Amino acid sequence: MQLTHARQFARDSERRSHADARHDRIFRRLLKFCALLVLVALLGAALSTLWGGREVLFGQGLHFLTSDAWNPVKDDYGALAPIFGTVVTSLIAIVLSVPVSFGVAMFLTEIAPNWMRGPVSSAIELLAGIPSIIYGMWGLFVFVPFMSGIEPVLSDTLGKIPLIGRLFQGPPIGLGLLTAGIVLAVMILPFITSVMREVFQTVPTRLKESAYALGSTRWEVLWDIVLPYTRSAVIGGIILGLGRALGETMAVTFVLGNSYNITSSLLMPGTSISSSIANEFNEAVGLHRSALIALGFLLFVVTFIVLLIARLMLRQLAKREGK
Amino acid sequence: MNNRAFAVTAPAVETAHHTKIRVRDLHFHYKEFQALKGINMDIPEKQVTAIIGPSGCGKSTLLRIFNRIYAIYPGLEAKGEILVDGEDILDPRYSMNRLRSRIGMVFQKPVPFPMTIFENVAYGIRHHEKLSKAVMTDRVEEALHGAALWSEVKDKLKQSALALSGGQQQRLCIARAIALKPEVLLLDEPTSALDPIATGRIEQLVEELKSQFTIVMVTHNMQQAARCSDLTAFMYMGELIEFDQTEKIFTKPDKKQTEDYITGRFG
Amino acid sequence: MSSRGLYIRRRISNAMAITFAAAATLLGLFFLVWILWLTLVNGISALHGSLFTRITAYGPEGGLANAIVGSLMMDLIALLICTPIGVMAGTWLAEYARLTRLGTVIRFLNDILLSAPSIVLGLFVYMVIVLPMSNLTQGAVSFSGFAGGVALALIGLPVIVRTTDEMLQLVPGTLREAALSLGVPQWKLTVQILLRAASSGIVTGVLLALARLAGETAPLLFTAFGNNFMSVDPLDKMASVPVAIYQYTNDPDPALHAIAWAGALVVTLFVLALSLLTRLFVSRKKASYE
Repeated sequence: MQLTHARQFARDSERRSHADARHDRIFRRLLKFCALLVLVALLGAALSTLWGGREVLFGQGLHFLTSDAWNPVKDDYGALAPIFGTVVTSLIAIVLSVPVSFGVAMFLTEIAPNWMRGPVSSAIELLAGIPSIIYGMWGLFVFVPFMSGIEPVLSDTLGKIPLIGRLFQGPPIGLGLLTAGIVLAVMILPFITSVMREVFQTVPTRLKESAYALGSTRWEVLWDIVLPYTRSAVIGGIILGLGRALGETMAVTFVLGNSYNITSSLLMPGTSISSSIANEFNEAVGLHRSALIALGFLLFVVTFIVLLIARLMLRQLAKREGK
Repeated sequence: MNNRAFAVTAPAVETAHHTKIRVRDLHFHYKEFQALKGINMDIPEKQVTAIIGPSGCGKSTLLRIFNRIYAIYPGLEAKGEILVDGEDILDPRYSMNRLRSRIGMVFQKPVPFPMTIFENVAYGIRHHEKLSKAVMTDRVEEALHGAALWSEVKDKLKQSALALSGGQQQRLCIARAIALKPEVLLLDEPTSALDPIATGRIEQLVEELKSQFTIVMVTHNMQQAARCSDLTAFMYMGELIEFDQTEKIFTKPDKKQTEDYITGRFG
Repeated sequence: MSSRGLYIRRRISNAMAITFAAAATLLGLFFLVWILWLTLVNGISALHGSLFTRITAYGPEGGLANAIVGSLMMDLIALLICTPIGVMAGTWLAEYARLTRLGTVIRFLNDILLSAPSIVLGLFVYMVIVLPMSNLTQGAVSFSGFAGGVALALIGLPVIVRTTDEMLQLVPGTLREAALSLGVPQWKLTVQILLRAASSGIVTGVLLALARLAGETAPLLFTAFGNNFMSVDPLDKMASVPVAIYQYTNDPDPALHAIAWAGALVVTLFVLALSLLTRLFVSRKKASYE
């Protein structure tokens, strides 16, 4: 009696083990499918824009990449002006925000008293939470008038310097590449800062303490110990900021001036890939629409590569930390 | 070499009890590292067997093979035989559910599930048996009584288990394990995260539980092994050096290494 | 050169560096205060009850009622899509693929998706949902709230994947062993114990995702398009607060600018409240876990 009961139990549990194994398999496949959707999203974004822009990308090929014409009336499209605007505004943003981010990160990790670190870094992170369209509004309604007041001064001072002077000559209308670059700089400031702050914190305390013990100043510890130790991750953080700047739409669209220009002056209005798409897409038909989607494809590929490099550089630090 | 010869020729300890777990030539690899080198031992039924040894000697590894919990990590491999009442549990065809319902385990740190006290105990039962609400309530109460926890939690069964003290959490984990009515109870350093008073309670509990379960306990605390166990195994560098009546191990061990360890000369 | 001179020089460069760092921090905080203050002042002065009761069709005399409803609808659609997918994907990364090559690759690509240009994600949804729907229905359905929700879901997805992955990795391994030693199968262990143990972290991830996607404009421009009338039909064009702000800011009429500021205030408060809530959640979790 007892024996048959035990046998019955054994058979039951065997059957349940099989069912469990089957359910586990289904469950695992479902989860894996969802994880693969991340891959699908990236691949889909690339392929769908490639497909949507095929008439321009394959029909015109090099002409699209090398021409600065953008003429919807003649259906003649070249990507050079938007590419120029995207690259120039992003570079301005990086040049301006890297030193400031570095300063903030230095302040937050090495200088500020402990009670100050939490609130200040939260405040800086709040800056990252503000929707980008708010930056755009601030840029258009407040910063553009402010810049149009400053630009004549820039032209009169920096504009007189040989060589770099021509960067600062132009109409003082406030709109333009420089203004867009500054708005972008403010926007990516918290991103770069938080990466730098995080990587600075990964430096082992004993390393810093040994330097302090030798009489190093805070600046020397940061410059000679912390920065070399975290170099690749810091550069990774900067490139991450660059990736953000390249792809940003709303912060720059209002303040760029939306004109297809390639000029030597940063005070001139321009355009960028993302703002061209945002401004024109809903009115565009035919080849015009295809050209805008092709621009989107270019933007995606470029930011993908930039972000890939950034993540690879950041990962090196994570690896070292793991060991 | 000597040790293995000893183990193979004399695996059984002189006891009046029936052998519950028979370990035969057990080897265990973790990548290149050989964690267990040919273990042979017979663990008697309804007795407390303690496994002692310096850290890294393989005592926890051995315990974790008894219910194949190691199998959740890739790259681990056990070779040899572990016979529980004559059935080889290392056989891949051996049902995992049957194995885990026959052999319960309690871990170093108390790990209550993020649910109520009642649910913590009922959770495991539910997976193995379909019980009516009334029967389930009885089973949970019985398990909590068994783990000497009932009087402390009977009024807060619906509260989160995370609010209990460390010692109570560990007894809850014991209740959770014995609720499945296993035949063997594995305890992996069950008191290493607890204070002395909570430790005393658990040791007392082990004494009470041995009438119903075969208990195998890993401990780094030699006094604990001496206090609670009937038999003691001493392991060193992946080998079973000596396995005998606890009293004998602690008073006149056969091996020099055992004596050195017991008297605190190494490890 | 005397060592005293060297000391002085070193001390001066240190003082300069500290001054610079403090000035940089002040500059960052200055911009934060400037932007927030501006939004607050302009937003409050334009904040009337009609903002929440009248629709954009009335223009300068209208409000953003339809845009607010549309935004809430699309945020909801986005969360309904990206929460289950994100949680499951994150669970796979943490529980089944922690050290595998495919897991590493997907975790890596997820981080890239996290900062991918949102306007391109809008184009993607335009290509794979708006256009095919339009072709399928002969133009009856083209831009839609559903498409907008999918575009926003693509913004939220990587956030949820990442936090779920991270939070599950924090759950102690002993919890897994304890459940498995009771004979519980892996899927039950994952759903009933691990996800429950990590639940507050996962809620944090969902809130973070909502904070990110609620302020997005670019992905909605050519997916949901916009609508001057109240519509709750997910297959119709749908208004949203960010897109309304975009359109009103581009308009020369100052009365519309005022409404745009009010909308900006609403969105900013919503987003910042969410991120503060998230912080609260995180600090409480830290307090309760260890």
